[in-house]
Amino acid sequence: MRRLTTAVGLATLVSLLFVPHVTAQDDELVTLRIGLTQDWETLNPTVGFAVSEYEIWNLHYATLTDKAADDFATIPGLAESWEESNGGLTYTYTLRQGLEWSDGEPITAEDVAWNVNTAREQEWDNMISAVANIEATVVDERTVELTSSVPDPKLPTMDVYLVPRHIWEPIATDYDATTQYEALDGVGSGPFVVSDFAKGQSVTMVANPKYWGWGGDTPAIDQVIFQLFENPDAMVAALLQGQLDAIHGFPPGSAEALEADPDIEVVAGQQGGFDEIAINGGAVDGQPHPALLDVAVRRAISHAVDKAAVIEDLWFGLATPLEAVSPGADTKWIPDIPEDGQFGYDPELAKQILDGAGYLDTDGDGVREMPDGSNPIVLRHAVNTDGDQAAAIGDLFKGWMEAIGIGVELESYDQDALYGVIVEGTYDTFFWGWTPFVDPDPMLSYFTEAELANYNDANWFDPEYDRLYLEQKQELDPERRLEIVHQMLTILHDAAVYIPLYLGPDLQAYRTDTFEGWVRQPAEIGPVMFSNSSPSYALLRPIGAEGDGGGGPNWALIGVAAAVVVLGGAILLGRRRTGADERE
Amino acid sequence: MRTSGSDRLTTETTTARGRGRLVRRKLLGSFLTLVFVLVFNFFLFRVVQTDPIGSLFRGRNVPQETIDDLRTAFGLDEPLITQFVYYVRETAQLNFGVSYQSRQPVWEGITTAVPATVALVGVAAILSAVIGTIGGIVAAWRRNTWRDHAITSGTMVFYAMPDFWLGMILLVGFAVVLGWFPVAGIVDAGSTASGLARFADQAHHMFLPALTLTLAYLGEYTLITRSSLLDVMGEDYLVVARAKGLRDTVVRNRHAVPNALLPVVTLAAINFGFVLSGAIAVEAVFSWPGLGKATADAIRGPDLPMLQGLFLVFSASVIVFNLLADLAYAWLDPRVEP
Repeated sequence: MRRLTTAVGLATLVSLLFVPHVTAQDDELVTLRIGLTQDWETLNPTVGFAVSEYEIWNLHYATLTDKAADDFATIPGLAESWEESNGGLTYTYTLRQGLEWSDGEPITAEDVAWNVNTAREQEWDNMISAVANIEATVVDERTVELTSSVPDPKLPTMDVYLVPRHIWEPIATDYDATTQYEALDGVGSGPFVVSDFAKGQSVTMVANPKYWGWGGDTPAIDQVIFQLFENPDAMVAALLQGQLDAIHGFPPGSAEALEADPDIEVVAGQQGGFDEIAINGGAVDGQPHPALLDVAVRRAISHAVDKAAVIEDLWFGLATPLEAVSPGADTKWIPDIPEDGQFGYDPELAKQILDGAGYLDTDGDGVREMPDGSNPIVLRHAVNTDGDQAAAIGDLFKGWMEAIGIGVELESYDQDALYGVIVEGTYDTFFWGWTPFVDPDPMLSYFTEAELANYNDANWFDPEYDRLYLEQKQELDPERRLEIVHQMLTILHDAAVYIPLYLGPDLQAYRTDTFEGWVRQPAEIGPVMFSNSSPSYALLRPIGAEGDGGGGPNWALIGVAAAVVVLGGAILLGRRRTGADERE
Repeated sequence: MRTSGSDRLTTETTTARGRGRLVRRKLLGSFLTLVFVLVFNFFLFRVVQTDPIGSLFRGRNVPQETIDDLRTAFGLDEPLITQFVYYVRETAQLNFGVSYQSRQPVWEGITTAVPATVALVGVAAILSAVIGTIGGIVAAWRRNTWRDHAITSGTMVFYAMPDFWLGMILLVGFAVVLGWFPVAGIVDAGSTASGLARFADQAHHMFLPALTLTLAYLGEYTLITRSSLLDVMGEDYLVVARAKGLRDTVVRNRHAVPNALLPVVTLAAINFGFVLSGAIAVEAVFSWPGLGKATADAIRGPDLPMLQGLFLVFSASVIVFNLLADLAYAWLDPRVEP
C-alpha cells in the first residue's frame, strides 16, 4: 500500500511539471515583448542610471520639451510653445490644454515648477546638471517661467523627467527620502506607465490613455513587457522562436543567425557612443613613459592602430570607424578631419615618423629607445577586466606596437581599480569607451584642466581648448557653437592623446511580422529602442493577428509524462510486498 | 543493533546533561565562528582600495559635490575603525544598511531573491541527495555488476561536467531546439496567473535548471554512499542477519544502509548549508532571479552593504548547517565523544 501511494505521489509530481501552464494572460491584449540583458536597480528617476531604467522612464514620464526622432531637435512636449526673453536667460513655457496624469489629476505649471526647484534644492543626481542654475516660477496654471542665472545654451531644452507632485511632494522631504522612494506608484504622463516590476525578471507597462501624444487615437498597444535575460543566447533564441518581438544588446556573434532569418531586422544603432585607446598625457603625478610626452610618438602610435581589423574581428563589421572624439549623441558634433590630417592605419609611416624623431632601436633587440639610447620604449597597457573587448584589444594592441618596435606589457585591472590607476597616472595606455549625452558639454569638459584627477582620463589639457570650452558653454547661437566644438575637438585630435577606434553600436533586432512602425533615433543610423527619447513605442502598430508565443507541442510532453508514470509504476509495483516474517 | 563503545562514553552521551553540554559547546563554537566571519567580511572588502561611490558615478553627469555628499552620507570618508564600529553596531541590530546601487534596504534585496534560490537549489540538493544515495546503495550492493558500472560512470560523467555547460546543453536541446521548456526566467513575463497555475508555471520554468544542478551534484552522493556501504558490507552482523534468513533487500535497507549513512548525512548537511550561496553560473544560464545574480551584481559595484549582507547570510547558513550536521552526527553515532 505504501509503495502504491509513493508511486502515485511521484507520478503526480512529475506530471505536474509537464502540465501545460495556463497563464491568465488575456489573449485580447496587444502585447509588445522586448528582451534585454541589463537589469533594473531602481525605477526612481532621480537616482537610477542604467540604460534599462532610462527606457522605462522615457515611456512613463513625459517631459516639458521632447526630442525629434531624426536629429534630437527640441520639439514641444508637455509644453506646446515657449518664448525667450531677457537675452535668452528666461524662457516662458505654455503647457498644452487639458493635460492629465494617468490617475486623472491635472498636470499644471505647479508640477513643473516643483520638479525643477526641488531637484535643484535637493540636488537630485539625475537632474542637477540640467537645473543647477535654474529657478522656476509659476505664472498661471498653464504657464511656467524658467530663469537661468548664467547663459545656458541647452535652453529651451528641458527634458528632465517630471514626477507627479501630488504623489511625490509628501514623500520627497529630503534627498534621502526622495532617493529611497521606490517610485512604483504607477502614476505617469508618458505613453505607457509601469504596472508591475519584478526585479531581476521583468517590467510590465500598460498604455496610458491620458498621454498627450496619442492625438485622440486609442493606443494601438495595450501592454509592453520588458523581459530580462541573464543569458544573451537564450534571448536570441527567444526572438528567433517568436517569443519576443524585439531584443536589445545581443552579442555580435549572433548577428549572422539573426540576419539569416527573413522575418527579423537587425539594427546596429549609433548614438555617439565610442571606444578608444587613451594615452597618458602626463598632466598628473604619475608620469607615462617619457616617449609619450612627444606628440610625434603619439601620432606614430595612432598610425599603427588597425581599426578596420578590430571592427571586422570583434564586431563582425557592425561598428563604424572613428577618427575624432564623439562628444554627443548626434554625430554632427564630430569634426571632419581633412584627409591629410587623419591618422590612418599605416605601420610603415609610423616607423618612419619614429625613425625621423630619433627613436631608434640601437641595440637590435626589437624595441626602440629614447633618442639618447636609454629607456627602451615599453608601454604599460591597462586591461579593463570588466570590459567585453578589453582583453582582445589588449592583445591586438601589443601586436600592433611590436610591429613598429614598441614593447607592450599588459596589466589587468577591474574597472574600479582601473579608475584609481588612471587618476594616479601609473599607466601608459588603456582601452575604454564612453556613451555621451545629447548635449556635448559634459563630454567636452572631460578634457579640461579642471577635470584632471577626476573625469579627465587623458591626463592632458590645452589652454586653448579650455578657453574654447568656456566659450561654447555660453554660446547661444547653435551654428557658432558647433564651430567652436569642432575647433576644440580638432585640437584634441591633433594632440593624439585619445585614439578613437570606432562608434560602438547598440545591437538590436526586431521581428518584422509582429509590429511595424519602428523609428530610428537619430534618423538612418540610430537604434530603434533604448535611444534618447524612445519615440518608437508610441508609433508601433501590430501587424494583423498577433503571433503566438513559442511553446512546445504539448502532446510530446504528455507522452513523456505518461511514459515516466508507467515506468515508475511498473518498477515500484513490481516489487514484492514485505511479508510479516521478513520484518524484524 | 549497533556496536557500542565503552560504558562511560555511552553514559556521557545519553544523559540529558551530557547532551546539553555538547550542544552548548557547539553553539558557542558556531557563534564565535560567525563573529569572526563578521569581522573578516568587513575588512575583506576594504582591503582593495576601492571607491564604490566614485565608480558608481563614472561617466554620469553628476557634479563632484553631489558625489562627495553621498560619500559622506554613506560614511565612507570616516576612518576605517569608525566605519567598523558603525558596521558592528548596525549588524547587531540586524540593520544591514542601504544598497549603493538600488538605494533600498539590503535586507529587502536579499529576501526578495532568497525564495527563488532556495526553491531551485533546495530541490536540486534534496533530489541529488536522495537519488545519489539510492544510486550509491545499488552500486555498492551490486558491486562490479553492470549496474554498478553504469551508475558510477554515469554519475561521474555528469559530475565532471561544468554545471553551466551542462545547463547550456540542456537549454539548447530542450528549450531552444525542442521548445518543451521556456528559455529563461521563473515565470512567463507579464503573466498574471496565480495559485496552482502559477505554481505549475514556476515548476515548468524550474525543471531544466533543477535537472542541471541535480545531475551535477549526484556524483558526490553516489561515490560516498557506495564506498561507505562497501565498508559496512564486510561487517559480521550482516552475516548474522543473512544467517537468520532475512531477504537480501531487508538486510541491505534495515541493517547495512543505516550504518553507512553517517558520512552521507554529514555531506548532505554541509551541502544544504551551501544552498543559499546558490549556483551563480546555472542561475545565469537560465536567467533565474536568485541570490547568485544578486551577488554578481553587487560585486560589480562594489556595492559594499549588499556584499556584506550577502556574505553574512551565506556564512550564517553554512555555519548553522555545519552545526546541525555536527549535532546530528553526535546523535546518530553513540561512539562520538561529547
